[in-house]
Amino acid sequence: MKHKCIHKDLIFYLDNELSEEKRTAVEKHLEECADCRSFLVFLKDEMQIIEKEKNPEASPFFYTRLSARLDERPQFKQQGLWVRFAQPAFFSVMLIAGIYGGLRLGSNASSGMINPEPTSTIQLMNDFENEPIESFLLNEL
Amino acid sequence: MDESELIKGIQQGDNKVFRVLVETYQRMVVNTCFGIVHSTADAEDLAQDVFLEIFRTAGSFRGDSKISTWLYRIATNRSLNFVRNKKRKGFFQSLEETFTGGKNRNSEISENRSDQPDQNITDQQRSDLLHRAIDQLPEKQRIAFTLNKYEELPYQQIAEVMEISLASVESLIHRAKKNLQEQLLDCYKKKCV
Repeated sequence: MKHKCIHKDLIFYLDNELSEEKRTAVEKHLEECADCRSFLVFLKDEMQIIEKEKNPEASPFFYTRLSARLDERPQFKQQGLWVRFAQPAFFSVMLIAGIYGGLRLGSNASSGMINPEPTSTIQLMNDFENEPIESFLLNEL
Repeated sequence: MDESELIKGIQQGDNKVFRVLVETYQRMVVNTCFGIVHSTADAEDLAQDVFLEIFRTAGSFRGDSKISTWLYRIATNRSLNFVRNKKRKGFFQSLEETFTGGKNRNSEISENRSDQPDQNITDQQRSDLLHRAIDQLPEKQRIAFTLNKYEELPYQQIAEVMEISLASVESLIHRAKKNLQEQLLDCYKKKCV
């Protein structure tokens, strides 16, 4: 039996899933082949890891944590309701109040514009009137 | 307390009955999740999600199958989703590392491993190798293999959990073992641990 053939069967050999005939052939090959024996040990060690790590130790606080999560859920739902309905309603009221206030202010302003009375005139300073640039340049020359 | 009483109690929102259910099946669910996600902390979190789902959806349980079958189904589905999300996150993280010039830690670790002599192989390295090999299996093969090896379920019960025929389960487990052996052989030849 060749290496390749036996390598294919080793995992089934470990799990006792080979026919009697195949099993005898594999065992015969293993007696002669050090490389296949070495791979069998490697494979056996790997598969034994499953035996070692399965059934992990049960956490003593598993149910405590789980019941805390169960209790959290209704609060989360209530919070969700507040976020879903009350917040948009509050912001809508604020928006409507803002628009209404803006309209009121606007109408007051436009009613005041009907008879506009100048309250004061702003005196702008204009240096060119006092001293035209031409005369300034002529003086310089 | 038999299964129908358990289900009835949970459907009525009885916390005491729910506690009995959790204590009865906790080990089984954590072990199943662990076989797929390979981390005790993640397996416990997933097991909690499984029990929360049971509590929430108990009303829709028709009682056609055993509670354990129902739990196995939810546990395997949730674990596979977890692994998929983790892979997706890992992909985006590696993209980020590529653009930010960061080093990929996993490749660094595997490089270090290849330099170590055989006699220094630790259990952790061996279990990492096995987990990587299991993770490489197609999803259906992984579920069938995990239920068979970690939970020691008979093929008939695996067929019920996966809702496939007995012959399909036999074929899936046979192919899973062959694929696993090929990967381990490849690693043995390259001396990657």
